[in-house]
Amino acid sequence: MNNVTKFCFMLFILCVSSAASAQVNIEINTPGVVALKQSMQTRHAQLAEHYASGAVGLTSDGLVALRDANAVPLASRQKVNGLIAAENQDRKALYAEIARANAHPEWEGDIRNTFAQRWIQHAQAGWWIHRGGTWSQK
Amino acid sequence: MLHKTIIYTTFRPISCYLSGFFSFFLLFLPTHLYALQITLNVADVTAANFSARGIKVVLAHGGSAELSIAEMHMAEKSWRKVHMRCAEFLLNSDHVACRKGRMDAIPDMPITFSYAFASQKLNLRLAGKANELWQVSADLRAQPWRATALLRNAQGTRLNSFLPPDGPLPSQGVLNGTLEVRGDKAGISQINADMHLTDLAAADESGLHAAEKLAGKVHVNATRTGQKWNWRGAVDWQSGEIFWQPLYLRGGHTLQASGQWDGSKLKVTQAVVNLPKVGKVELNALWDIKKRNLLEARLIGKNLSLANGFADYAKPFLAQNALSATKLKGLADVDWQYRNGTTQSLLLKLRDVAVVDGEKRFALHGINADIPWHAKLKRVAHVSFADGELMGLSLGATQWQILMRGKSFILTTATLPILDGKLEVSDFHMRNKNDMWQWNFSSTLTSISMQQLSAALKWPEMHGSLSGSIPKVSYQNSLLKVDGTLLFRVFDGTVLANHLELFDPFGRAPRLSGNLDMRNLDLDLLTRTFSFGNIQGRIDLGVKDLELVRWRPVRFDAKLASSPGKYRKRISQKAVENISSLGGTGGVAALQRSFLRIFKSFGYDRIGLSCTLRNDICTMAGAEDKGDAFTIVKGGGIPAITVMGYNRRVDWSELLTRLKRVLQDNQALIQ
Repeated sequence: MNNVTKFCFMLFILCVSSAASAQVNIEINTPGVVALKQSMQTRHAQLAEHYASGAVGLTSDGLVALRDANAVPLASRQKVNGLIAAENQDRKALYAEIARANAHPEWEGDIRNTFAQRWIQHAQAGWWIHRGGTWSQK
Repeated sequence: MLHKTIIYTTFRPISCYLSGFFSFFLLFLPTHLYALQITLNVADVTAANFSARGIKVVLAHGGSAELSIAEMHMAEKSWRKVHMRCAEFLLNSDHVACRKGRMDAIPDMPITFSYAFASQKLNLRLAGKANELWQVSADLRAQPWRATALLRNAQGTRLNSFLPPDGPLPSQGVLNGTLEVRGDKAGISQINADMHLTDLAAADESGLHAAEKLAGKVHVNATRTGQKWNWRGAVDWQSGEIFWQPLYLRGGHTLQASGQWDGSKLKVTQAVVNLPKVGKVELNALWDIKKRNLLEARLIGKNLSLANGFADYAKPFLAQNALSATKLKGLADVDWQYRNGTTQSLLLKLRDVAVVDGEKRFALHGINADIPWHAKLKRVAHVSFADGELMGLSLGATQWQILMRGKSFILTTATLPILDGKLEVSDFHMRNKNDMWQWNFSSTLTSISMQQLSAALKWPEMHGSLSGSIPKVSYQNSLLKVDGTLLFRVFDGTVLANHLELFDPFGRAPRLSGNLDMRNLDLDLLTRTFSFGNIQGRIDLGVKDLELVRWRPVRFDAKLASSPGKYRKRISQKAVENISSLGGTGGVAALQRSFLRIFKSFGYDRIGLSCTLRNDICTMAGAEDKGDAFTIVKGGGIPAITVMGYNRRVDWSELLTRLKRVLQDNQALIQ
């Protein structure tokens, strides 16, 4: 539950700070955005332990990636792969949906970049970040 | 201390000349050996699958010796600076022997070896803790020469330097068994191996290929004729788990296989794999090992259980598409042929198969199918199912004949029973273009009862029917498009839907857009259905630029107005109160309640209301506008009633909440 709270806070900070720094309304709430945020929030509770263990990290293009599968028990690796694929599918859909809701689908790339920076800024210490082709620990 | 150095040029091969070398060396030894340190340098040693450079043996005081090799190659592997110390080193004209030896690379494994020059027999023994033993006996003079390795509690990690560094490397586990090798001047000609693996763990650097607690037996028998190997093997994987991205498998598999190996291509002429809880699969294949390329393959399985077969071996490859949450049951026969980088044919027979989506979006039961697909030839598939469900709508039994040619599938005509009606599909064509699937069809929907449809979709009970003619439905790039007009006959009127587009139908947030044009709807039927309080009359409702995301409206321009024509127009007091209540605190009915309370219904001239939804705000207008106020129901007849709205901008979510409340408890909320 604690992780969920942190995630919500992070998402809130992310939206507010991003909205303040760009003309685009990143905080916009359409049913699609709400559905995607809820889906990501639910999944974050499962992903948080893998961010902490270093199995999964954040990438500079606003997605998540498998960093070290050896940090996950063998029987769970398939599930973690599924979580990452689902998370990335939701993230891409979120960026597209926010751009579309702002009536500027062409802003998707900028929205994605903004989210990527903020996800990394608000990541917890110890989480892994993939930048410039290499992984580093925050 | 006296040093003596002897340089000998080249051994080729080692087994033939070693004896001569040491005999030559002995001639130079002085009588008082104990005072000497003798260094022997050997320029080069080569043999089949083996070479060594920079060999040096230093015979020291007290019978010990230091052996070092600058560079050694064996079986395409290289080692540098190999060093070994023998506490007891014996060398005479008959044999050379080392006792209590230790190699730097494996300091925990004392080494003992002896080699007889005349008989060319070699004995090598490495023993470690926990009863670990690697013992090699070789007879190099025999024709063919032979060597046998006995492994007892042998640590799997000691094989790491022999394995490809980018593949899975053992981190624990032991091996027990024997490895027997025979050979001639051309090299190894026969291999027999019987190994028992216990508690083996291995992983590559990424962790995407790994095994844990692996236990099983491996038997391999291989014989070389010229450059070609004939091999036969068996694997009995008893327990443990393997993750081989994206597959995760547990023990219980067995494999018997035979084939050939020519140094670059591995041919499996016959293999039988027993997949636990699935069935037996026969396989033959040809791999180009160096290029890591599957050249040919054929896989045949009969009566395979799809429950585990699909979940364990197919589903992991379908991550995050519409089938990733699907469960299958039933039996299948499979015959798959692969060549030239693509599937050539796939014969699939399904018996009493059920397909159920984990998110309850679709299900089919009692599927029987005979699908003889071929990459280039025309074939006809026969598919039938007993019943099913699509988005909550029940589907009836049907049979289809599908014409297939490569990645093109044509269904000339097909019937899909839906509830009490049916969808007549014609010219269904599905094809793969640029690795993307697309399909289209035209269809006619014949009379589905709205009563059954509303019950299936958990809507309030409606009457009427749904039917329509759809000139073209197409799907491409995640977009489902309906060209033409869907016709619904509901509430004794018509609903026309056109320009319908559904983007990402199986995604997290499907988006539907289109226009609706409803004509002559019977308000009596409509208001009874939705428990809104009775209104008699007829209305037209136009909804343009409708957009639903995840089935919730995010945008539309809707306009409701009384239909043209002469008909009875009455509105009940309850309906008036309900309409007024939707306006919230700003909505006031021009209703003299104290006087009009005695009437149960009123006459009206016309009804009019429009809503433009943007950003969750509904901006309203009425049949007539007077400044900020607008007329929703304009009175007419005796007694007449006029309902006014005063709040033009209403929060859409709040409006829905109020409407839901009205429909639920059907109580007036006049404020």
